[in-house]
Amino acid sequence: MSALLTVQGAGKDYAKVDTRRGRVRLVWDLLRGHAAARVFRALDGVDFELERGASLGVIGENGAGKSTLLKIVAGVIEPTRGRVHVNGRVGALLELGSGFHPEYTGLANIELAAALLGLAPQEIEGKRDEIIAFADIGEHITQPIKYYSSGMVVRLGFAIATALRPDVLITDEVLAVGDESFQKKCIAWIERYLEDGGTLLLCSHSMYHVQKLCQVALWLRDGRPERYGPATEVAQAYLAFHEEKEASERQPLAEAHARTAGLYAIRSLELAPGDRIAQGTDLTICGEVLSPDGRPPVVLVGIVRADGTSVYGVATDMDGVVLDEAKGDLYPFSLTLVRLALLPGKYFVRVHALDPGALRLFDHVERSFVVTGETREFGLVTLPHRWG
Amino acid sequence: MTTSSSASDGSASFAAPGAAGRRNRALLRNFFAREIRTRYLGSITGLAWALLHPLALLAVYYFVFTTVFRTGGFQGHGFLPFVAVALWPFLAAQEALPRATISLAGYAGLIRKVAFPHELVVYASVAATVALQFAGYLAVLVVLALIGEPIHFAGLLLAIPLWIVMTVALLGLSLALAALQVFIRDVEHVLMPTLMILMYLTPILYPLTLVPVDLQPWVAANPFSWLVGRLRDCLLEGRLALEWGDAVAVGAALLVFTGGRWVFRRLAPQFEDFV
Repeated sequence: MSALLTVQGAGKDYAKVDTRRGRVRLVWDLLRGHAAARVFRALDGVDFELERGASLGVIGENGAGKSTLLKIVAGVIEPTRGRVHVNGRVGALLELGSGFHPEYTGLANIELAAALLGLAPQEIEGKRDEIIAFADIGEHITQPIKYYSSGMVVRLGFAIATALRPDVLITDEVLAVGDESFQKKCIAWIERYLEDGGTLLLCSHSMYHVQKLCQVALWLRDGRPERYGPATEVAQAYLAFHEEKEASERQPLAEAHARTAGLYAIRSLELAPGDRIAQGTDLTICGEVLSPDGRPPVVLVGIVRADGTSVYGVATDMDGVVLDEAKGDLYPFSLTLVRLALLPGKYFVRVHALDPGALRLFDHVERSFVVTGETREFGLVTLPHRWG
Repeated sequence: MTTSSSASDGSASFAAPGAAGRRNRALLRNFFAREIRTRYLGSITGLAWALLHPLALLAVYYFVFTTVFRTGGFQGHGFLPFVAVALWPFLAAQEALPRATISLAGYAGLIRKVAFPHELVVYASVAATVALQFAGYLAVLVVLALIGEPIHFAGLLLAIPLWIVMTVALLGLSLALAALQVFIRDVEHVLMPTLMILMYLTPILYPLTLVPVDLQPWVAANPFSWLVGRLRDCLLEGRLALEWGDAVAVGAALLVFTGGRWVFRRLAPQFEDFV
């Protein structure tokens, strides 16, 4: 079994030079066959295999090493460590259009792209019209690329890629540019390309695209693989990470710390079946509230997404429920969310203890949980629906 | 078809050797055609400029050296053929080296994004300059013959190989300079005055015989002295016999080429980050 693309322990160091003397020093080191003295580790320890017909999404924050990885795969740079093995023709589409020469006209760039793939001008003769039609940029095709808008550059780049059909298609954030209708055209083309056995390496900030187009995803963080696995799972983990990060920048969310500042306090909080729950199954939130004065407290349960967005909240008094005392001053409560409508992702359950009149908030406790599932629906919850 | 990316010439390693060679030729053709097109077709005077500039220089030298200084003793030849035969190859070098030195910057977009052997950029740049200057050279030889100067066209049998030897050496120098320029931007600035000085140290405007005897070996040691001497031998004197020095020159040119390419290939993997 030989994979179309094998990456083993790939890593890349960039030389760090900030002074003129540093540059001279670097040249001297390189000429002697030495590695650069001071380096920046852009990528490290990346492993994956891509079979023919497979699709991999690379995700991560800016500067995580995504582009470096794609450049290594495309052969633009050599890995400092590890190996990259390719069986076939890689049509690099890195940052589409940057492979173009700005002074060339659109037509000349079509020829350049063909030459880069080893095709003689006459070999793409028949494809030129197809490219021009797909790009759909009118008479701009006869003007130098430097006068193009970024959208037009991507259009042309994508059109060339579609006509020349590389064995492995590498796209770096191409779908982010271009208008809606062109994006749809591109996605439709990529889907067809994948159905016909094409292999895709997609780098994107859009989890929607990654989940839609890729089977497997690789999450890079600070140059190192953070997670590798089924695209849906990795994309959700990545989104959850970000939601949490954003929320923690706004207000630090401490997990499950029972503050006993007030009179009414939450003494325990449990999630059943656990903190990982499959979408559409029942989630039970239960615990005990302390009431020092023998009156039944009101319990408010809220569901909050990891970024702090409220999803739903309900209190015992709203539903006319009065908690019963169990032992001592503890009042147990239990709330079951039937057939959980939440979409996959990370959430918090936030439980508040209120006085019997539900006027003052005395305590709150949080617990995180993850909803699992494979769906491409958007938003927070599944709304009951029916297609007519 | 399995190769690993450890080869130094980028994505050429991703295809079968035959396919890589074919691709590189296609790319070189593309770069070469573009060099020629953008250099002269973009300017108003077009291709004529390639000829006008050396002709204007020749006219100025003619005025200065025959009317103002009234130098003589051009080994029995008129000033015009004596200088013209030697001036063009030097101008070719004087144009080819600086252009090639900065050539990689013009392809920065490609170098950063696409895998291809970066050498091709330098080859195309040097080849375009030499091709255009050689065309100008032929045109001037024809004009000289038409105005009655005794030009031995059979001498081209040796003159063409001499140009090739010069081009091979220029390619080697250009590779090294272009690679260094990516990291050290001073290369370009040092090169121009150096070439200017070299021009006056080369017996282009004067015969070697006018140089004081004890300085003659120094001037003769300049490779360009050998080149212009040999060009005058074949085109002005009609002497086609080969000399031992020719073999030395061929060897030296190949050595310069190999050395330049070695420097280039050592530095090329880092271009992407610096260009």
